[in-house]
Amino acid sequence: MRKIALVAAIAMLAAMLVPAMAWAGPKEIKIGVIYPLTGPAAAAGRELRAGAELAADIANQVMPGINMDMAKNGGVKSLGGAKLTLIFKDHQGNPQLGADLAKKLILDDKVVGILGCYYSSVTKTVSAVCERYGVPMINGSSTSPTLTKRGFKWFWRTTPHDKWFTKDLFEFLVGLTKGKAKGVKAVPREEINTLAAACEKTEWGSNVAIEIKNFAKEYGFNLAANILYAAKSPDLSSEVQSLIAAKPGAMLFASYTSDALLMIKTLKSMKAKPKILWGQDAGFDKPEFVSLGDDIVGVLTRSVFLPSVVKMKPLSGQVNDLYVKKMGHDLDGASARAFTGLQTWVYVLEKAGSTEPKAIQAACNTISIPGNQLVVPWVGIKFSTKGDEIGQNVLGGGLIGQYQKQKDGKIGLEVVYPFDIATAPLVYPFQGY
Amino acid sequence: MEAVKNAFDFGDMPRNELGLAAVVLAFLLSFPLMPHSSFGMATMIQFLMFSLYGMGWNLIGGYGGQVDLGKAQYVGIGAYTTAVMMIRWDVPFWFSMPVGMALAVGWSFIIGYPLFRLKGHYFAIATIATSLVLKDLFEVWNFVGGARGLEIPLKGDFPNWLYLQFREDYYYYYVILGMFLIGFIYMNGFRHSRLGYQLRAIKDNEHVARSLGIDVHWSKIKAYAVATAYVAMVGSFHACYNFNIEPEDTMSLDLSVLIAMMAMLGGAGSMWGPIIGAAILVPMKNYLGSWLGGQAGFAGIDLALYGMIIMFIAAAQPRGVYGIVEAMRARRR
Repeated sequence: MRKIALVAAIAMLAAMLVPAMAWAGPKEIKIGVIYPLTGPAAAAGRELRAGAELAADIANQVMPGINMDMAKNGGVKSLGGAKLTLIFKDHQGNPQLGADLAKKLILDDKVVGILGCYYSSVTKTVSAVCERYGVPMINGSSTSPTLTKRGFKWFWRTTPHDKWFTKDLFEFLVGLTKGKAKGVKAVPREEINTLAAACEKTEWGSNVAIEIKNFAKEYGFNLAANILYAAKSPDLSSEVQSLIAAKPGAMLFASYTSDALLMIKTLKSMKAKPKILWGQDAGFDKPEFVSLGDDIVGVLTRSVFLPSVVKMKPLSGQVNDLYVKKMGHDLDGASARAFTGLQTWVYVLEKAGSTEPKAIQAACNTISIPGNQLVVPWVGIKFSTKGDEIGQNVLGGGLIGQYQKQKDGKIGLEVVYPFDIATAPLVYPFQGY
Repeated sequence: MEAVKNAFDFGDMPRNELGLAAVVLAFLLSFPLMPHSSFGMATMIQFLMFSLYGMGWNLIGGYGGQVDLGKAQYVGIGAYTTAVMMIRWDVPFWFSMPVGMALAVGWSFIIGYPLFRLKGHYFAIATIATSLVLKDLFEVWNFVGGARGLEIPLKGDFPNWLYLQFREDYYYYYVILGMFLIGFIYMNGFRHSRLGYQLRAIKDNEHVARSLGIDVHWSKIKAYAVATAYVAMVGSFHACYNFNIEPEDTMSLDLSVLIAMMAMLGGAGSMWGPIIGAAILVPMKNYLGSWLGGQAGFAGIDLALYGMIIMFIAAAQPRGVYGIVEAMRARRR
């Protein structure tokens, strides 16, 4: 028996001692990708992973059908056609695990840089690790405003953040009262003047709550309830009760996937009747959310990518076709931004012509990617290098979409804001439950 | 003096256990010198942290027989004290850590006094409740950053011993190893102390203990305070090691349960139990999670495996892995 114990002990020690097979071939560029592949945001993780993988596939091959620079090179041209290899890690929504995985990627796998992490809370710890080791990190989909306010030298974010998105929402509400929305007459202000918000309570949601509070004050709305809740919570009935008790014209949410589903089900069971129901992307923009069927017709969500963008941008349509072939459904806000994040990595490496951190840092700080290269409807990608925000893309933009029943009977998102690019008339008021 | 002598008195341990301890100690001391992966290093640091958490839990849960599922609240108090003092008043780690321990011990008296009037499951539930209430309070308390938590700013000049900021993990490793050794030796002294014997008497039969003149309530409170000090100390370390703390990762029920589970898996009420438990669960959690989590289609299987192993041990030997060792030893005699 003692022998067995000894063998087991030695095996365990050996497992810990074996250095990871870190060997960078000349034709390979390793990027570490950290996403929530299990846990409450596993559904988002699947989309994020597929988005990043698709971008790497396009960059590594020559694809004549895609009207994008990186689809023509078959690898990173300035690095001798080196191919990208993605190493995926699962942070499970846990900031500490994320930091450990980042160290593993940097020290053991010797990655050139990091892409991730979706959860703002994890992006915070992972970017701190990257900062300590001087390794570049590009973030495609974490929207907590504070992330780019820390003066980090090794962190760049392509997505616009919640301050912009929340401002969009209030501009939308004000526009609604002025009759700017397509197909809707001016709505009396008092109908939507009272707001109630419920946000999940980690880094991301609690910052959204703060932005909502600030903008409500600035735009003169009455925020009657502003609740924080746990995304893992198995029951949201008391939260929904407080929302309904506030008698709001508009209900606002920042929810991840499973809690967004639970929220809608609970709202339905308690017969909530807001005039507007808005979600801050994330859970409100997932294939699972669409499975709620007729219950979500009229629900609004902010996004950076809606399938109807395809009508405006042919390039988005080309990439979306490939994505549909891979996953069976359209790109969404998560996958489109993961795609864009990795795409940015490719352009940065192309510009740097080197995998040295310093060269990449210089490339990030001076890069300018025009909007016609992107699947997302942005002016482009250019990172700020001064002011109180360092590393933030200043050329991004957001959309507000609405779930509507389409001609084929399926439920899909139509762009309703910015008003001038709306793809369908707004459905107002929300049907209620 | 007697206490110090007790702490270094390992005479009652079986000889082969002492031999094994010497080998483990030599391994722990030399680990950073051996070739290792950084993930291996992070895993070892977590192993030492969870061993200490487990030792703290074991004091009251193992020796005292009071199942505590609220240890995370003390991790939080330790971590937040250090982080707040460092961020707001620039206080070095070595000063804020004892303050954190003192605050945690103070809090343990406040909740220990009423809680130890409860027994068994009621006590366990009450510890969960106090821990969750504290977590909820921290989530809305802006002074400590609310639900977003606190981020400790980098000082820049590594290594910084005063503020415990290092670039390389082996510095952290030796700091936590030092705490581990002190904790282990103190634990050995505690076993032989008056309070240690009193606790074991209480665990065996509370009424008999009382009839022998032991103040049961007060003994439990004192042991709980010592247990708390262990956990808060590691909590302070956690804040510096991670540079970032949130109520969710320092005070969650998950953490409390994990701490209790490690000690129980290893063997509650023995010196080695928490260490064995952490040595099994921490690498499993980290390696299985990172290995399977990264493969499409396998994500989540590690969690299922993890649960199965715990169920198997619980069914086969409720006294944990150390219980299995003891049972084998008894059979051989």
